[in-house]
Amino acid sequence: MKIMHTLKKYFSLYLAMFKASFISDLEYRANFFTRILTDVFWYVAQVTTFEVLYHHTEKIGDWDKYQMRVFLGLLFVIDALYMIFIHENLENLSEKVRKGDLDLLLAKPVNSQFMITLQKANTALIGNLLLGGGWLIYSLHSLGDFHFARLFWLILLIPCSLVVIYSMRFIFSASAVIFTRSENLQFLWWQVYRIGMRPDSMYFPWFKWIILTVVPVGVIVSLPARALLNPPEFFYIAWPVILVPILLYLTNRFWNFALKFYSSASS
Amino acid sequence: MKKSFAVFLKRNLAFAKLAIVSNLEYRLNYFVDAIVQPLLTTGIEVLLWFAVFQGAHTTTINGFGREYYLSYALWGAFFARIATSWMYEFRMIEEISSGSINSLIVRPMSFYEYYLSQLLGYKFITTIISMFVPVIAAWIFDLPTIYSRIPLAIVLCFYYLILVHTISFIVSSIAFHLTKISSFTVAKNLLLWILTGELFPLDLIPDPFKKIIITLPFSSGVFLPVGYITNRVTHAEFMQGFVSVTIGLVLLNFLGAVLWKKGLSSYTGTGA
Repeated sequence: MKIMHTLKKYFSLYLAMFKASFISDLEYRANFFTRILTDVFWYVAQVTTFEVLYHHTEKIGDWDKYQMRVFLGLLFVIDALYMIFIHENLENLSEKVRKGDLDLLLAKPVNSQFMITLQKANTALIGNLLLGGGWLIYSLHSLGDFHFARLFWLILLIPCSLVVIYSMRFIFSASAVIFTRSENLQFLWWQVYRIGMRPDSMYFPWFKWIILTVVPVGVIVSLPARALLNPPEFFYIAWPVILVPILLYLTNRFWNFALKFYSSASS
Repeated sequence: MKKSFAVFLKRNLAFAKLAIVSNLEYRLNYFVDAIVQPLLTTGIEVLLWFAVFQGAHTTTINGFGREYYLSYALWGAFFARIATSWMYEFRMIEEISSGSINSLIVRPMSFYEYYLSQLLGYKFITTIISMFVPVIAAWIFDLPTIYSRIPLAIVLCFYYLILVHTISFIVSSIAFHLTKISSFTVAKNLLLWILTGELFPLDLIPDPFKKIIITLPFSSGVFLPVGYITNRVTHAEFMQGFVSVTIGLVLLNFLGAVLWKKGLSSYTGTGA
């Protein structure tokens, strides 16, 4: 009963924060379009890279051009969801630490990790989600023999992917509490994330094992893509589900550890 | 005339030194920026090329063997670090958006040179520190590299950096009129990500796009210097890069000057 009450409280708090974000985003209408444009360039970069490479080879890893398009479609959708709900919060954490704004969040009578993670939503990026979704549908349609019932796996696997991105990004961002100035560690996250933006099958077996387990960026897109493209395999479906509570627990431990290093910067 | 040039040089050297000192202040941050990031990029690209060659079932792609692509991935990541400007462009925009530019425009120097010298100073130290890595890696793994061509390739990359700064100057001038423009920087850098050849060698693009993209000045950031070092492009093609960057500089500086003038005339310093 108490858990339900807490969940309800946090849900209504999140709704209020989401509404506030939406209103604030509407204030800068041009930003809506530039944010979409920015991601269009990113999509173009990803698609161009693989289209150019497939001009010279038939397969990369064990996937052909059409399967790679599905992989990219999933990448765009998962990335757009992450960008809408989480990205901006973690991106600004370093700044909050330096300016002392973190004090305000720590002083609130709610879980500080919750506030840091979900305080601001980037509603301008809903357009990107539509674009990414459009590309995914197009790429699935061009596969020809796709079983659309497999899309149901995404209901389970996309939230798992979001938790994996969140957890890894959170650990990079929370390091700002320890090191104070760590912008380049944040850029380092981008490089790690890039590993997951390529299909796991193109990596050497030992490296594939690492990115599916120790640094699980391979779980983010490769496993949902496998669930869509191949007949379901128990490990590929179960592993992300097992990983979610482990990663959430680790982020919470890391956050509490990092806070021990925090000395307020505000005067 | 001579004296004023000496003052100009001294002042700009001081800006460059300021950038070097302030960047080296946070050593972990700098180490990640100059060494770890390009190393990771190289690693990712190298793995991609292994996979591409495995799938292609051929020893050459577009006339070049796997080693050429590995060498391109190695050098490309390091040249891309030099040829990209994020940090200073964000600072320039912030300076204008927040109004702290007031303290700069009253000084006897230009906003353009203040940030250009800092950018060049920062990239100079980054080049010195980070270039050891590809040199040593290319030597150990015996990757196709013409070492004698490295200095000229770096010169072209730095010349291109002035063009990059000019684009940053244009983007930041827009901040006089619009409040939130940091996404312009992201969009522009993503576009340059493709056009410089950081993602893949530009000669892999099918014609006629290949010719157009290589002719643009942006190929002087990564593709031409790296292609020159790894023997993908001829000396004549490489020198063409200097010409295209010069044309780009003339055109973009003109545009920058107009936008800056317009922006300044509409700007009101609040003196906060």
